[in-house]
Amino acid sequence: MPGILSELRVLELTHRPSGAYCAKLLADQGADTIKVEPPGWGDQARHEPPFIDEVPHPDRGTSFLAFNTNKRGITLDLEQADGRELFQSLASTVDIIIESYPPGKPAELGLGYDRLSEANPGLILVSITYFGQDGPYANYQGDDLVAQAMGGYLYAVTGSASHPPMGTALQQMEITAARNGAVAVMAALLRREQSGEGTHIDVSTMEAAVSTPSGLIHPYTYTGRNPHRGGSDGNVMDGMHLPTLDGEVTLTTAGTGGRPMQAWAEFLEEPGLLDPKFGSRGGRMEYWEELYALVAPKLAQWTNLDLMRETMARGLVIGLVQTPQQVVESPHLEERGFFVEMDHARAGTLRYPGSGFFIDGENAMESTRPAPRLGEHNVEILCGELGLTVRDLGLLRAARVI
Amino acid sequence: MPDKGVLEGVRVLTLEQVHALPWGTGFLADLGADVIRVESPDHLQDRKAGPFPEGTPGVEWWNEAGNLVYYGTRNKRSLCMDVTNPHGKEVFLKLVEKTDIVTDNFRPGTMQRFGFDHESLSEINPRIITLSSTAYGYTGPWRRAGSRARTVDAACGLSYLTGYEGGPSMRASNNYMDHSVGNNVAYALLLALYQRSKTGKGIRVDLTMLETGVSAVGPAILEAQRGITRDRLGCAHWWKAPHNVYPARGDDRWIVIVVSSDAEWASLKEAMGQPEWAEGDKFGTALARWHNRHELDELLSEWTAQHDDLELARRLQALGIAAGSCTTARDLVGNAHLQERRYLWEFSNPQAPEVGSRIFAGRPYRDPGNPMTISKVAGLGQDNEEVLANLAGLSSEEIGGLESEGVIFGAPRPDEPRP
Repeated sequence: MPGILSELRVLELTHRPSGAYCAKLLADQGADTIKVEPPGWGDQARHEPPFIDEVPHPDRGTSFLAFNTNKRGITLDLEQADGRELFQSLASTVDIIIESYPPGKPAELGLGYDRLSEANPGLILVSITYFGQDGPYANYQGDDLVAQAMGGYLYAVTGSASHPPMGTALQQMEITAARNGAVAVMAALLRREQSGEGTHIDVSTMEAAVSTPSGLIHPYTYTGRNPHRGGSDGNVMDGMHLPTLDGEVTLTTAGTGGRPMQAWAEFLEEPGLLDPKFGSRGGRMEYWEELYALVAPKLAQWTNLDLMRETMARGLVIGLVQTPQQVVESPHLEERGFFVEMDHARAGTLRYPGSGFFIDGENAMESTRPAPRLGEHNVEILCGELGLTVRDLGLLRAARVI
Repeated sequence: MPDKGVLEGVRVLTLEQVHALPWGTGFLADLGADVIRVESPDHLQDRKAGPFPEGTPGVEWWNEAGNLVYYGTRNKRSLCMDVTNPHGKEVFLKLVEKTDIVTDNFRPGTMQRFGFDHESLSEINPRIITLSSTAYGYTGPWRRAGSRARTVDAACGLSYLTGYEGGPSMRASNNYMDHSVGNNVAYALLLALYQRSKTGKGIRVDLTMLETGVSAVGPAILEAQRGITRDRLGCAHWWKAPHNVYPARGDDRWIVIVVSSDAEWASLKEAMGQPEWAEGDKFGTALARWHNRHELDELLSEWTAQHDDLELARRLQALGIAAGSCTTARDLVGNAHLQERRYLWEFSNPQAPEVGSRIFAGRPYRDPGNPMTISKVAGLGQDNEEVLANLAGLSSEEIGGLESEGVIFGAPRPDEPRP
């Protein structure tokens, strides 16, 4: 079955993971997505370590490979007139453009929403930046950590109360902004089906961070208390990571019918857990070190997968703290057919995560192509679709336009 | 400005609890869909979860929780009905005839036990879209396992990769994955609606928290296949230094500073007044700064600790350096940028007048073509009559009968414990 978005065409002109991931979400559902990169260097993510086989190479950066699946790639220097002209030709053929320039820069290049939508009234333009298109921070510099900090996530969510703030790994604010952008695109597409009109969507990564924890703005305005990090500190039964035979696990008190210590005492065969001082959440926090000393050695007798199977059978709810390696080798994900395999000319065959949902039992993730090499589709798109001759292409290359 | 929501005419019946699914269907409600939250009188956890005004549940506590406004029942309708009762089930199935989407986040098997699995519902309504949002999905050996968002942060690999530099792994968040999954729910549902507009056919979506989580840590998944391990770095970076959180003046105040080039480093030195320690080879190049980053962080901390974080961030940004105050919720409520962007929404819920007006986080994007606001927040069972009369076509006698039989409820049972 062709992907749901297979009739759509997307142009991606982004410089940050949020934009690349947003375009990937569309590409993974079948949209013909063309990534436009500056000639020579390309997307900065091509140059971010780590690299496959640990050899620095613009086609081997793992972030680049992960965030650019199912896209075609061309190079264009938009600082040059030919580059802009070719971009405009492409822009008039697409449904969606995703860009992450500083606000105002596209208009400066003659590629602002007004100009582009004149030629293509149904165009959906997504601008995805750290702070949005307006407001006092619009031109601030950012990255994922800055977004975590300014969005209140860093202070309140991850780290330990007795330590400085500490963030969540792997650029999750970028990912969240990208997911917000994809939702916005789908709503805009449905609107366009009704009205024929396109739109300009403004996505802010800082706001993605503010929106993310449920416990930030309104818990403060309701209670006057500032949410603060450290929720897993000393929280043996509901947050800490505890060692197992071959990894780590985090427990919960869920699924115990309101009698967590009885249920866990029985499961772990540790009557010490029945001590009344562990009967309340407060007591468990107060005597956490004693509780840890009882629970940890028992858990350490289990392997992760055995523990998962046996707790599941009794309705207890745990989370294995899996390493990426354990995730890749997960028998559960294997049976579901979650990963899709693609072969990349420089990075080799790798299994890529799916989209997180199956449609009518089928993995919804496309596996048309791995991330493009720099300028891989220049000939295919610029000659094949825009009608340039191979000779012109040579000229543009010499002039560093492509 | 469009005069009606893009999803006007789309109806969603949602059997939802906790956070991920309500957050996802919340997007559809904001976009104008008629999202009917079918609530059980026996499971009022979401309405008990708060937060409550000044931390104290009031007389009508079940309509007061801030989470209801933020995602629980915002722009939704509430039908409080026991669908395990045969009459409740019958009404639910009648509603399915007039519904586009049915969503749930029960464990696999529950919907089937109710008779609400995709196959049964599509016999009634062949155009039905169903989405089940579960921890691990409808297939695979872990399908019967329960979860919390934090257990999925763990299982997907995110928590293992999170931690202070050189320290143990650490829970990434209590509920980040709920949001990520909620976003994926909204995306999948809009995709399904788009697809159905082309084919006219019903669709079954099996969406999982684990897989949404794994899709968010793609780089680490590729690395693991080639034996590359990713060290925990706290707020530090693979190649940038300085790149960390630094103490600022005051109690528990912090600032993030990120330097990615020699030019930015020169600007930072200028901001510091060219201190002697910053000159010389030790920090003169990107490589040197990264390898000597611990010493650099310490020296930089001595300087930042003398400054107000908000003021210093402004100064550094004016020099083109990516810096940001480590803001608290209190800071954000008064934040000029968010105010100017009208990101924060003030709302007073007529269903809970005692709560008064409060400020909420808004939706994290703007689209003038699809504006979003809060127009209502459903109280428990507030829409029972309207839904049952107008959609299910029940007479007022029949509705009265359901009420007296204990199938529908306008308030918790009298013996329901208070939160």
